[in-house]
Amino acid sequence: MQTSNNAINPNHVITTNAIIKGVSQVILGKQQQIKLALSCVLAGGHLLIEDLPGMGKTTLAHTLAQVLGLEFRRAQFTSDLLPADIIGVSVFDRNTADFQFHPGPVFTNMLLADEINRATPKTQSALLEAMEEKQITVDGETHQLPSPFFVIATQNPKHHIGTFALPESQLDRFLMRISLGYPDAESERALLKNQGGRNFSSHAPAICDAETVLAMQQAVHGIHVSDHLLDYLQALIAQSRAQLNTGLSPRASLALRQCAQAWAMLEGRDFVIPEDVQAVFASVVSHRLALEKDSGQSAQQMLSQIAIR
Amino acid sequence: MKACNVQVWRRAYWQQWLRVAKSDGNMATLQPRQIYILPTVWGVLYAVMLILLLVGSINYSLSLGYFVTFLLASLGHTAMLHTWRNVVHLHISVLHAKPVFAGDCAQVTIHMLDTKNRARYAIAAKIEQNAEVSEPIAANQSGLFLLPFTTTKRGFCALPRITVYSEFPLSLLHAWAYAELSLPILVYPKPSGHQPLPALLIDARNSGNSRASRGDDDFDGHKNYQLGDAASRVDWKASSRGSGLYTKLYSGEGASDLWLDFALVNGELEARISQLALWVVDAHASQQRYGLKLPNLTLAPSDSQAHYHACMQALALL
Amino acid sequence: MRTKAKLVTAVQIKWLLISLGAILATHALNLPLWVIGVCVLLGVWRYIAIAKPIFMPNRWLLVLLSLILGLIIVLSFKGQFGRDASLSFLVIMTALKLLETKALRDYMLCIMLGFFLVGNLFLFNQSMATFGISIAPMLLLIASLINTSLVKQNNMNNLGITKQKSTKQDALFILKFSGKLLLQSLPIMLVLFVLFPRIPGPLWGIPQDAYSGMTGLSDNLQFGNISQLTKNSSIAFRVQFQGAIPPKNQLYWRGPVLWHQEEHSWLMASDNIGLPAEHLIVSGPATHYTITLEPHNRPWLLLLDMPTNLPNNTKRTHDYSAVANEPVRSRMRYEAVSYAHYQLEANALNERESIMALQITEGENPRTRALAQTWLNLTPAQKINSALTLFREQNFIYTLRPPLLGKDPVDQFIFNTKRGFCEHYATSFVYLMRAAGLPARIVTGYQGGELNPNGNYLIVRQSDAHAWAEVWLQGQGWVRVDPTAAVSPARIEQGIGDADLERDELPLMARHDFPLLKKALLNLDTFNNGWNQWVLGYDDKKQLAFLSKMRGKTVSVTDLVVGMIVTLLAAMVATAFFVLKKTHITLNPAEKIYAQYLKKLKTIGLQLNIGEGALDFGNRVALALPPQQTLILDIAARYNALQYSQAKNAFMLTELEALTKQFKPKF
Repeated sequence: MQTSNNAINPNHVITTNAIIKGVSQVILGKQQQIKLALSCVLAGGHLLIEDLPGMGKTTLAHTLAQVLGLEFRRAQFTSDLLPADIIGVSVFDRNTADFQFHPGPVFTNMLLADEINRATPKTQSALLEAMEEKQITVDGETHQLPSPFFVIATQNPKHHIGTFALPESQLDRFLMRISLGYPDAESERALLKNQGGRNFSSHAPAICDAETVLAMQQAVHGIHVSDHLLDYLQALIAQSRAQLNTGLSPRASLALRQCAQAWAMLEGRDFVIPEDVQAVFASVVSHRLALEKDSGQSAQQMLSQIAIR
Repeated sequence: MKACNVQVWRRAYWQQWLRVAKSDGNMATLQPRQIYILPTVWGVLYAVMLILLLVGSINYSLSLGYFVTFLLASLGHTAMLHTWRNVVHLHISVLHAKPVFAGDCAQVTIHMLDTKNRARYAIAAKIEQNAEVSEPIAANQSGLFLLPFTTTKRGFCALPRITVYSEFPLSLLHAWAYAELSLPILVYPKPSGHQPLPALLIDARNSGNSRASRGDDDFDGHKNYQLGDAASRVDWKASSRGSGLYTKLYSGEGASDLWLDFALVNGELEARISQLALWVVDAHASQQRYGLKLPNLTLAPSDSQAHYHACMQALALL
Repeated sequence: MRTKAKLVTAVQIKWLLISLGAILATHALNLPLWVIGVCVLLGVWRYIAIAKPIFMPNRWLLVLLSLILGLIIVLSFKGQFGRDASLSFLVIMTALKLLETKALRDYMLCIMLGFFLVGNLFLFNQSMATFGISIAPMLLLIASLINTSLVKQNNMNNLGITKQKSTKQDALFILKFSGKLLLQSLPIMLVLFVLFPRIPGPLWGIPQDAYSGMTGLSDNLQFGNISQLTKNSSIAFRVQFQGAIPPKNQLYWRGPVLWHQEEHSWLMASDNIGLPAEHLIVSGPATHYTITLEPHNRPWLLLLDMPTNLPNNTKRTHDYSAVANEPVRSRMRYEAVSYAHYQLEANALNERESIMALQITEGENPRTRALAQTWLNLTPAQKINSALTLFREQNFIYTLRPPLLGKDPVDQFIFNTKRGFCEHYATSFVYLMRAAGLPARIVTGYQGGELNPNGNYLIVRQSDAHAWAEVWLQGQGWVRVDPTAAVSPARIEQGIGDADLERDELPLMARHDFPLLKKALLNLDTFNNGWNQWVLGYDDKKQLAFLSKMRGKTVSVTDLVVGMIVTLLAAMVATAFFVLKKTHITLNPAEKIYAQYLKKLKTIGLQLNIGEGALDFGNRVALALPPQQTLILDIAARYNALQYSQAKNAFMLTELEALTKQFKPKF
């Protein structure tokens, strides 16, 4: 994209391009989803990946963490997982005669919450609370989570038995929901040749670090959103409220703005254009319209009904 | 699909000569050539009043009488232009229609969009002879119309022709256009019948709340210990933290599955389908797990909303 | 059509009440007071019933009310079902219909009746003011219709009453829209007004009282007749002179000549009296002039003393009044020639005329007769002088408010009250002359007039009405003697405004004490004259004459119809173009340039979809036009930068413009 007077830090552009490239060497043919995931991270939100097993959800999360150079932990959610298993537990220490806090896996930069819908609601809500507050209170003591802090949660939409679907109030905590889908023939072939990406991922080089991620998050906030674009955003939100029984919340509209800003940054622009909004719209919106049938389709319909000026 | 053919054939012969806005993809645009306009009853009354005024003006040689007559006649012409302008170039698309039972009123959501930077006033729409819905549409914006539509037969039913019209600004003229949009509306069979749920014969349905019933298969969390809780269920590890005793809770699939079998009902095909539909509705309402066995397919037991719709769809299309 | 009757909302009823109220107000002067009162009451009743529907009258009560009110109308108009009675009837029936209005059908009927009543307004008065006033009720009626078309019929609640919320903005919008509709209707109205072939009326009989509002000289003279007329400042006629305007004391506008005396009144000679016309000899310069006579519902025309030729369709009475074949009910324009120097029946008085000119009722006014008896032996000139001296020297006062006179009025006036207006002086003078044996008669008409400097024409008002005497002298014929001049010479020399009268007795327009106001009013009259000539007087003849003049050759009615159809179609197309023209969005400069670019692309069938951004569209176009890919993407990027980025400047705009110019829509 050639734009004059670009106020964006060129290093950030190079870094983001490198990240996308790095991840897409592992997750083949999924550039769009990688970009969405990255924009979610840059917008400072949590990501929900919903897909069938074996589609590379975990690999994506893992690789992303590695390439971003962040501390990564993984928690496999099961029905017997207790909140304490996630957030940590205070254990009585005989030597000091005091309770000692043992931090759980949540104390990391990037937490992969695998199959989040397998855990009981209690455990889920403990995690979601941590996601929202970015801190944890155990036995009256508050522990700050490291910064940056992301949760990438995965869930399997088809398998219902023995699962606890996230209530919509908690789905709202995720900035985006994406699904990966089957790879195209070309990517599949490349995948087969390379004998699977999982091994490869362990060699994915770290391109940036926590500092840079925080700086880029800051930069995302500085991406310009013009009045014209705000008009467009408002029209979209208003349309959702008119068209659907449950329209988009103010939180959703803020999320939309942040993600569009992050997307604009990935595109190397220092201002947001309607296409940025459109690119992230379905991912940001569809899980917030959980009560609607075919929420993804509704989202696309909304886009085709609001004229851009 | 049968029902939709019937809909097409039932239309009178002359109707094929009507100019109808056909959808291009999902959206149809009301083109100038597709707008019809005729005076309303009030328009005719207005014309009669104008003739009386003209005759009076001639008789009394009233110059200003001519003035009023001609001004009002010209007003009729201006109103005609405005009425036409109010309807023309609207984009119309159909969003969705929730499935309904046969004989019930379906709510079809119609979306109308202005792209001509004109505020549209009192745009009304209706499906066949059903009630009309009237909304204004702001310039460059869209309006949603929830059109009622009475269904008759189960199965997929094609959306009939939609009439979009307006009498703005003076109610003297009626401008209208027809739009044909493609949207299959799923009509579920009408639930009816006399046979009780087969589950009633096998399982105690009134024990109810089967979903919430406590089984002992899966751990489901803790609750505070109450006297009477089994000692084997107390979570001693959790209780050791000193904040009281906890009892482990387990959930399980306590109730057995209910099978709604096509073979269990008898009578005519439609009656059998209606009976099955009633069972599905009842079973779903009482939150039981149920499966459906039809001659052509079998749906495994579940109690989810999606399962309910899948069952009803299977019955509708049988 | 739905079977269930559509009901009207409270807001609709309020609009209707306001509209009909406005119509009632405009008709206020044309209706008896009790009708206005009843209508206001019925309106208030309906207003109360908006909030409390139980007050809606039932059918029987309404039938009863209609019968009672109908009967009152018949009684109060004494069975004469003319213009006034029909209007009252129509107004009352509309008000009763309003009281019955629950369904849309009744509502619409009320609106249509309303429009019809607005049209009726001009039966009573066609002045510019009435024209202006008539706009308001039309605007409101149209607003009521607009409001009705906006009512949502689907919002019926279970009581069957349609709810409609209304705000001030709504009302303002509706009124503005109503005004917009009226303005947009003007061109076609004008075309029809000018070109629609005027059919000369009437098509059927006109109610007798249709013209009762018109004022003018009557066919008899009673004490107080003319002084009453003098209080009216409405215009009697306007005169355009070809050449110099004669001096004021020559401006005697001759009307009916009165011969027959009967106690208080003086009457005209019968039409069919069969007398030969008096013999007229004229000399000196002729005065050519054109008169535009306001309708006064009497047959006579006014002409300057002494007319020699008459307009078409009029006849001359033997005593030189001009009478039209029909009462003058529309404005009439005629040319005439008069001579200031004349001799009328100079040689010998016809025997029958002589009897008529000496007739006085026996047994009345003994003192006057006694006085006249003393003059019997004087010469005619001495008789006249004696009478004028009497008026001049015995403290007679010229006033618009003379005391009422009882039995023997001439006696009372000459010997007791000594206060009178021109008719008193003229009648007393003629009475004295006849009693003294000198043939005399009364002439009524107008005297003087006021020059309107704007239009260089003379305005003669009802306030200029006058009565004077003519006496017959051997060898000189009928000679004009104005006894008023003996009492108030200024009345004759300068006009009634200068007469020695109490000021406030006279109408404003006849007075001289507000020069600025009067000047303004004179300016207004110039407009009014144009209005009368061109708007109100635009009839079949004038229409053809005007159009012939415009076209340069004679226009037939067929030409007119063809011309009207052609022009009408043109006007309709023009209006349609204006109304249906695209409502342009106010575009910023970047959007304007981008719109040009889109227009170029449209020529090759590439159109922006709804919800498609510039970049996506650019990519799509670039696929279709690969050779210009760079240019296309550049345009999209620059447009986006201008629209959405913070750092935009005028330079970017020129760049975008240059790029857009560079772009050629070619595959």
